[in-house]
Amino acid sequence: MTANGAEAVAQRIADTAAGCGIALVASLPDGWITPLITRIAADGRFRHVAVNREESAIGLCSGAFLSGIGSFALMGASGFMTCIYAITKINYTYQIPLLIGITLRGRPGDGAKFHQSNGLYLEPVIAAIDMPFVPIERSEDIPRMATAYRHSRVMSRPVVVGFTREVLRGEA
Amino acid sequence: MNFEACFRLLADRLKEEVIVTSAGNCSELWWEITGESERVFYLEASMSLASLFAAGIALGAPERTVVALSGDGAFCMNPGMLLVERELALPNLKHFMVANGCYGSTNDLVHPFGEIADYAAMAKAAGIERVYEFSTVDGLAQGLDDMVRGAGHAFAVLHVEPLGRHAQSPPLDGPEVKFRFGRYLERTGGRPVFDTPLSAKPV
Repeated sequence: MTANGAEAVAQRIADTAAGCGIALVASLPDGWITPLITRIAADGRFRHVAVNREESAIGLCSGAFLSGIGSFALMGASGFMTCIYAITKINYTYQIPLLIGITLRGRPGDGAKFHQSNGLYLEPVIAAIDMPFVPIERSEDIPRMATAYRHSRVMSRPVVVGFTREVLRGEA
Repeated sequence: MNFEACFRLLADRLKEEVIVTSAGNCSELWWEITGESERVFYLEASMSLASLFAAGIALGAPERTVVALSGDGAFCMNPGMLLVERELALPNLKHFMVANGCYGSTNDLVHPFGEIADYAAMAKAAGIERVYEFSTVDGLAQGLDDMVRGAGHAFAVLHVEPLGRHAQSPPLDGPEVKFRFGRYLERTGGRPVFDTPLSAKPV
């Protein structure tokens, strides 16, 4: 990974988010998205909120929808897995759109053994709750974030975009 | 203090604010007393996220006062909410936490946390400057305006007795709550919430 590569990707993701009307980003870090969070936190186009747990990002961003603010909940794969209740109870019950960004931990190439569970269950869980899933596997896919954001509003449901390690490192 | 008397006072005095209620007694009692279905978002079953949901509304609507009514059961699940509230420091967010020492939505099953912890002290330790604690209806009547109308984010602990009965849940499905609330905000001067306005236009 080159710092310049990761920073360039972070900038591109931030530009895409701002371009589709996102003004609030609530995040909790994963090592893969540290440069992205740093980029967003320093970007005056966003109100960045560092939350105490991932569920809080779901609550905060869902409320923000009702005051007309576009938002993005950014977190790691494990954090996302802790949010299933909040997502299904808030966003599904009330049909509140939300764009969620996660890391695709546990995919082949992730050397962290403690992400075996994400390798096995992350994407099946997303599928199990019928959440639209947009993988961002190459830098050319980054504009699909905007499509995902719009799709969330059309569907009145959350949509999750998943970033691969290679994309976030500027290697794909 | 008596739970119902406490909420009757709040309902009587909080007429202009936007309200977010958490699961169980807060939603049920507010509905029973007011029957309101527009300026209130009945966030049932969020398990501790009512105040941060309210914070999201307050963030985008700085001209409104947003009141969150949550319970101590939910609070104990996620006391870190105070840290995020402090980080946000939204002057238009007022958070009332009902401390009844039980899970009101599940037959008033008692929990021990109120005996162990000082919720108001926890809020102060989290850095929240305007922290209130009310144990009587008279005390609440006297301090309510200062808490709600005073400048700055505020957190209040409402010490109440268990409700001791079941109350009716608001008879509204989730999407109806969303649309009633969102259209209310739009109609009363808020920025557009939904992508399509609720007004017919010639094709």
